[in-house]
Amino acid sequence: MAQLTKRGVLAAVVCSDSFMKLGKAQSKVFGVPDLPLLEIKHPLGGLDMETVRARAEVALPQLLKFIKASRAQKTPETQA
Amino acid sequence: MSALTTQLKETPGALIECDDDPEAVYELLCAKGWSDGLPVIPPTPERVERMLGFCDRDLDQPVVRIPPRFGAATPVRVAANAVMAGCKPEYFPLVLLALEALAEEQYNLYGTQATTHPCTPMLIFNGPVAREVGLNSGHNVMGNYHRANAAIGRAVRLALVNIGAAIPGTGDMATAGTPAKFTFCVAENEAANPWQPLHVELGYPAEASTVTVVAAEGPHNVNDHESLSAEGILTMIAGTMATTGSNNAYYASQPVLAFGPEHAATVASGGFSKAQVKQWLFDHATIPMSRWSPDNIARRFRRRQAEQYANAPLDTPIHMWAKPDDLIVIVAGGAGKHSQYVPTFGVTRAATRALKRADGTLVKSVQELKRA
Repeated sequence: MAQLTKRGVLAAVVCSDSFMKLGKAQSKVFGVPDLPLLEIKHPLGGLDMETVRARAEVALPQLLKFIKASRAQKTPETQA
Repeated sequence: MSALTTQLKETPGALIECDDDPEAVYELLCAKGWSDGLPVIPPTPERVERMLGFCDRDLDQPVVRIPPRFGAATPVRVAANAVMAGCKPEYFPLVLLALEALAEEQYNLYGTQATTHPCTPMLIFNGPVAREVGLNSGHNVMGNYHRANAAIGRAVRLALVNIGAAIPGTGDMATAGTPAKFTFCVAENEAANPWQPLHVELGYPAEASTVTVVAAEGPHNVNDHESLSAEGILTMIAGTMATTGSNNAYYASQPVLAFGPEHAATVASGGFSKAQVKQWLFDHATIPMSRWSPDNIARRFRRRQAEQYANAPLDTPIHMWAKPDDLIVIVAGGAGKHSQYVPTFGVTRAATRALKRADGTLVKSVQELKRA
């Protein structure tokens, strides 16, 4: 994801709350400190499909918000 | 003042002042998170410089980078950790060698550092330098007491934490970890090995000194005081290997069997070559799929490994590793009717490196690496 971000592709990482510290630390290590981490409740492993869907419903609005914010940032530059 | 001391004084953050008192140093290092929780030898510039007395590398050039931080493991930094761990200077080349092996891509150091699985580097040393520096290969080989085993393994672990940032909950996400994370460092008991030692089996000359690194759980004991035949001992070992909670049942990784010398002698006298041991255990260390929980059968076998198991009957034998030769077989320990099985992490392969001088020639004695 860090590589994609560096190439200008919108990218985000789904990260469970127990792994947020690792996610934030790794974003810095890979040179993308603002890499969006879409926080969901831990765990993600060992879940039935209904619970996985519930996790996705938490992640999706965060992803949409990130995409909208990125577009809003890009628009003035594009117009200029 | 030594050249290193001068250099460190000119490097921001390289030196910290502390009371010259063991407890004060211990408190400071624990507070900084630069510890494994046990007391250490204070890494003063003078001690670090002495540690570097057996190093033929550029002292400030990274030998490897250690994830997850990808910190630069320069000889100076690694030497500071080796001092803290209690290493003698002549151990230092083996610490660097182990870190180089861990950095090989197939080992997957990033994954093994950050995983929830309780793995840690098991360091298996072969060859003359292991004997020269006093690495224990006999009684209590995986236990305490012997300085070289304790300090070399500990130095590597400290480097993984202090340089690589394998900090519990941040960079090391192990659910429970393992006591083997303090140190897990053995020499193979080559004198008691009825087969080829590991490094020779892997194609190195007997006079090479090597380390083989494996992302290992702690050892699981195999007690067998009763079997009188090779097949009897192998049956008991296969029974210990065949456990449903092992990563090795699902991934193409390489577990380790460390025969106790007495078990090895009985198996070899029964006519088994090492290759035959691996094949026999591959065939017999199996569990019928029905022994897994219904969710595991449905999700792990039927869905994730559908190509193999989508329609397989429930009594299908599940092997404990992917190919017979994936099992690493060594001989280690002293007298007694015990062997050790060491399961491993999933996405990893063992890596072996030989100790060499900067010009690429094999090191036969650690004294060859002494700085002039």
